[in-house]
Amino acid sequence: MRTPLPETPSQGMQKIRRLAAQAERRIRLGRALRVGARALCAALVLAIVDVALRKLGLVGERTARLGLGVAGIGVVAAAVVAWSWRLADRAGARALDRFHGLHDRLASALAFGAVTERTPFMDAAIEDAVLAVPQAKPRAAVRLPVPRSLGPAVGLAGLLAGVLLFEVRHHIPIAHATTIDPMEMAPDDLEDVKDFLQQLKQKDQSDETKAAIDEFNKLVDDIANKRLDRTEAFRRMETLEQKLLTGSEADKKSLEEQLEKIGEEMKKAELTKPAGEALADNKLEQARDAMHELAKKMREQGGQIDKAKLEQMRQALQKASADAEKRQQAIEQRRQELADDILKRKEKAADGGSEEEQSLLQKKQRELERLDRDLDQEKNSSRQLDRLDRELQQAAEDLMKDMGLTAKDLDQGAEDINQMQRQQMSEQEKEELKQKLQEMRELMRQQGQGGKGQIVRLKKFGRMARGQGGQQGQGQGQQGQEGQEGQEGQGQEGQGQQGQGQQGQGQGGQGQQGQNGQGGQGQQGQNGQGGQGGQGGETWVLGPNGEKLLMLSKGQGGGGSSQGSGQGGNGGQGQGQPGRGWGEGHDPKTQAGATNPKMGTQDTQVQGADANGGSRSQVILGAAERGFASRGYKKVYTEYHQVAEESLAKDEIPGGYRFYVKRYFQLIRPREEK
Amino acid sequence: MTSPMTETEAVREQVTLFRKRIESLRAEIAKSVVGNREVVDGVITCMLGGGHALLEGVPGLGKTMLVRTLAETLSLTFSRIQFTPDLMPADILGTTVIDDTQAGGKVFDFRKGPIFANIVLADEVNRATPKTQSALLEAMQEHRVSVGKRTHVLDEPFVVLATQNPLEMEGTYPLPEAQLDRFFFKLHVPFPGRDDLHQILDLTTGAGITTRQAVLNREDILQMQQLVRQVPVARHVQDYAVRVLQASHADGPDAPDLTKRFVRYGSSPRGAQAMLLASKIRALFDGRFAASVDDVRAVAHPALRHRVLLNFEGEAEGIKTDQVIDAILKAVPEGKAEKTATAGAN
Repeated sequence: MRTPLPETPSQGMQKIRRLAAQAERRIRLGRALRVGARALCAALVLAIVDVALRKLGLVGERTARLGLGVAGIGVVAAAVVAWSWRLADRAGARALDRFHGLHDRLASALAFGAVTERTPFMDAAIEDAVLAVPQAKPRAAVRLPVPRSLGPAVGLAGLLAGVLLFEVRHHIPIAHATTIDPMEMAPDDLEDVKDFLQQLKQKDQSDETKAAIDEFNKLVDDIANKRLDRTEAFRRMETLEQKLLTGSEADKKSLEEQLEKIGEEMKKAELTKPAGEALADNKLEQARDAMHELAKKMREQGGQIDKAKLEQMRQALQKASADAEKRQQAIEQRRQELADDILKRKEKAADGGSEEEQSLLQKKQRELERLDRDLDQEKNSSRQLDRLDRELQQAAEDLMKDMGLTAKDLDQGAEDINQMQRQQMSEQEKEELKQKLQEMRELMRQQGQGGKGQIVRLKKFGRMARGQGGQQGQGQGQQGQEGQEGQEGQGQEGQGQQGQGQQGQGQGGQGQQGQNGQGGQGQQGQNGQGGQGGQGGETWVLGPNGEKLLMLSKGQGGGGSSQGSGQGGNGGQGQGQPGRGWGEGHDPKTQAGATNPKMGTQDTQVQGADANGGSRSQVILGAAERGFASRGYKKVYTEYHQVAEESLAKDEIPGGYRFYVKRYFQLIRPREEK
Repeated sequence: MTSPMTETEAVREQVTLFRKRIESLRAEIAKSVVGNREVVDGVITCMLGGGHALLEGVPGLGKTMLVRTLAETLSLTFSRIQFTPDLMPADILGTTVIDDTQAGGKVFDFRKGPIFANIVLADEVNRATPKTQSALLEAMQEHRVSVGKRTHVLDEPFVVLATQNPLEMEGTYPLPEAQLDRFFFKLHVPFPGRDDLHQILDLTTGAGITTRQAVLNREDILQMQQLVRQVPVARHVQDYAVRVLQASHADGPDAPDLTKRFVRYGSSPRGAQAMLLASKIRALFDGRFAASVDDVRAVAHPALRHRVLLNFEGEAEGIKTDQVIDAILKAVPEGKAEKTATAGAN
């Protein structure tokens, strides 16, 4: 029995087409989901990498956003492509056929429906398909599967969330002031330099020198306050040295030579002989006085002077003034000749001269260079002498006209000499500054090589040298009390309390000052016992060749007990060596009891004996033990230092050892007690 | 002029009648042949498709019985040729003899051989020499026999049902490719199951005599053959058959690895023809009006297994052509993006 058609074939075909299209859409959707899920996995991986790179700061914000955008667009693009990718012919209908077991009824019906000339069999097939339409369910036939990649995608999304939450702490260098590794010098050395500069400043010198001293002082202050690093310190020193080098030793020598020659000429005239001799001996002060004397003579006794002498003087002055110019001209001429000669020889050498000629040429060139230097020096000194020359020449000319004018010229010349003398003095100071600068540089170099340890040792040594024991610490030793003054013959002994300074902590207690005996019965000052200081450390100094030299290795700190050795002398003039520190307070019995007149006292006059104090060796030993802050040591040091300075000046001592000796004396110099 | 609805109705009735005939035929055959539904359907398909069948099976499985039963139920002429090595072509085709006429003269008279029947059973066809086997070529393809200067047209329907024993290969002559290609189907006759064996024993060892009736005559067969040809095939189904055929070649577009490695020659176009015709017949068996991809897949094995020739390596490896065909069916998608479509359907 044939099943009646629920609808016409054309209606049925419409329905088949609709069902097939629906199934196709679902197929496309499923495919888009599957491909999209895979693309999502890839995009998530990309996003994770992108975000991680961004968090690590390896890519910029813009690039990271671009990467995320590309990933997102990629997913959408992949899904769209998967959706729109061509399906197999009648894929939807066949999917329905497969699922419902319709044996291609729907697909075949669609195929036959497209045929214009259908056979009865085709119509029958279409009808057959239409009958099967009610059971066709696209949703059941084409299920939308959960993409396999969805699980990994969820995992990757979680990972991405983790990466997003993960905080990468960036070390952002905060702009901060650049800290420098400050150049350090032993305070003791800095103080020494300051003392030197202070002394130098007190002398009368040129503005230039004063400015150099000020600059030097500033440099020392900066180093002391640790405001300079090593490079900057050396640069400043070099700048300063360059300034000081202006007006070299060679210029000075040249000036002296020229003055000497002027002096030689002036010596030839009787009137100018004293000034000439002084100039020849480079005694500028004397020369100035002699010139003033001559001017005074010219003014007061101008008419009485023998004309021949005046003529002699005129010639001498003229010669003296002209000499410098001649010498300069001679050098220039010689230089020109030499230059011409060199040029010729060079041309010859270019043609292939012998080795001997080459050697000679080099020699000539060296000579030319020397002459150039000489000429420069000559010009430099000539600039200084220029005014003196002109004054002498004017004096020579005026001599024939007016004695008064000549005297005036001579006075002017004397002032020029005075000026030169002052200049020379300033040069000397500059030289001293320069030497100090070099010493300081050498110290800095050596202390830099020795490292911080050496600075520490030098600091310690500095404290010890000042009689301070122990290392700088927080505690403070108790100051020893000064012995009380014995008064009116019954003064009690002052009892100094021992100050204790622990090694490494606290300053050494200071010894008491020996008290003066007063009155006829002044008792011997009581020793004030200083606190024991820390043990003196060893101080090593780098020698000129870099070897370590032990300077001091002994000493119980600086807190030695000063021995009051005063004796009641006549008139109560006891002499006690000073202790360090001072006593405080006094005996409560400020007045002794009244002398009992009935006691029959007998006055005894004690003769105080003069004493020389301790021997040098004792003083040195004491200084080694207690530091270099005693008066006796100052005296001994001065004597020894003077001898050493003389030896340094006279003897041929290599530069390195010279420094070493100076350094030695600088280290053991007397210190002011703090 | 009849309306389209009438034509459709007629088609429906024809198809219905077709199914009834087939059912009755099956039922009649089943009286003598136990089980082997697929083989029976295969033989019927070959007959309705106008082709020939090669039945392969060990002796005693009822191959000859099946053919004989079929011939009896169809009331068609039947001849059986036992192929032996000394069988000559003339023994099959017939021969010309000198005969006396009534007038006393002598005439050459052609004596038809066993090939002149509607159903020819070529038993153990591989035992004859190639020369004798080749005598079947023209008859199978052209349905005619040329002897001497005369050509004799064979009566329709003409079906050759050949059998061969796969075990006793000694002293046999494997059929040449050209002849194999002329068989519509190659059917494997399987060993019967336990129930079938019981039924066989009951039928054959009892006292009862099974009588078979002819349920179809020659005209019915021819009519059914014509109906088969009218069954339409959608393009995508035909396309599938073509792609399966292409995949049987080592250099085919969708050829699987098994094909590429072990196939010497793929199927000829006769394979696709056989698949499509058999698909149509199968659709009619099922009462449908169009063949489907499933039909193609179902008939692919008997239609292609004797047309796909393995190379030496395939033979050495013991590969069966059915394995190759399975791989082909698995590899060839039903459409260009068939995987996607089926994925959604599954």
